[in-house]
Amino acid sequence: MSESLNPFVLIDGKKPSCMQMLQVILDEQATPEQRDYFKVHMDRCMPCFKSYNLDATIKELLKSKCCGGEAPHDLVEGIKQKINQQLSL
Amino acid sequence: MEEIESPRQTYTEKQKNEVFNNEFLPLIHSMYNFAYRLTLERDDAKDLVQDTYLKAYRFIESFQTGTNAKAWLFRILKNSFINDYRKKSKEPNKVDYQDVETYYNSEDVNRQITPDLRVESLKDMIGDEISNALNSLDVDFKTVIILCDLEGFKYEEMAKILDIPIGTVRSRLHRARQLLKEKLSEYAKEMGYKNT
Repeated sequence: MSESLNPFVLIDGKKPSCMQMLQVILDEQATPEQRDYFKVHMDRCMPCFKSYNLDATIKELLKSKCCGGEAPHDLVEGIKQKINQQLSL
Repeated sequence: MEEIESPRQTYTEKQKNEVFNNEFLPLIHSMYNFAYRLTLERDDAKDLVQDTYLKAYRFIESFQTGTNAKAWLFRILKNSFINDYRKKSKEPNKVDYQDVETYYNSEDVNRQITPDLRVESLKDMIGDEISNALNSLDVDFKTVIILCDLEGFKYEEMAKILDIPIGTVRSRLHRARQLLKEKLSEYAKEMGYKNT
């Protein structure tokens, strides 16, 4: 695949690094053309292939292990009370 | 107030309450999770979220319905944290972000030493390791990971929340992930993975 067809090429014309391309893919911010390009690229680039699997696993773990904490039950009530107090001043 | 940029809206009291109850309050759990990750103290997190919502109500006319309420609230929370809570922090900011960005945009970024970490060792981590690794990061690195990986914000939204250019969001995110991997690699070694 020729470099001139690389849809990741930056506005300033610089060729992006593997890590820069990988990040855009991983964060689901790539265009369909960029996704297609990277799929082909990853088949030929072992570091990208390994990094992609590792980074995607970490991202998945972060989402499943660090999200979902519930706010304390009295927090919403406390906020509403404070607002009402301020309005009545 | 710094976070206010959109043109002022005019709301009746009823409309104000509708915006607050229907657009802001449903985000309370994400807001609390963000606050807790930043402060690492449940009471501080609660106070920070409360302060954020009070400010949001006070400046509600600067919020335009139909725009991104979550990004707007996260920005207020982040600024409140910096202004009111981070000052209490014992550790001064020691990170040179210019170095982070220069490195990210250099060709060396592909040659960096990736921590020797394997997917198999990560799968044995029960959750505390991931959470502790995230919490151990410098607050600015932790923040970009929270916004991107936990909350799913786009780079452009993150740039607005953090008041930094998109290029800086990307370089900071890259560095943050590298640091997180280093920390996870240490945990994997402690768990007995010789070749993690």
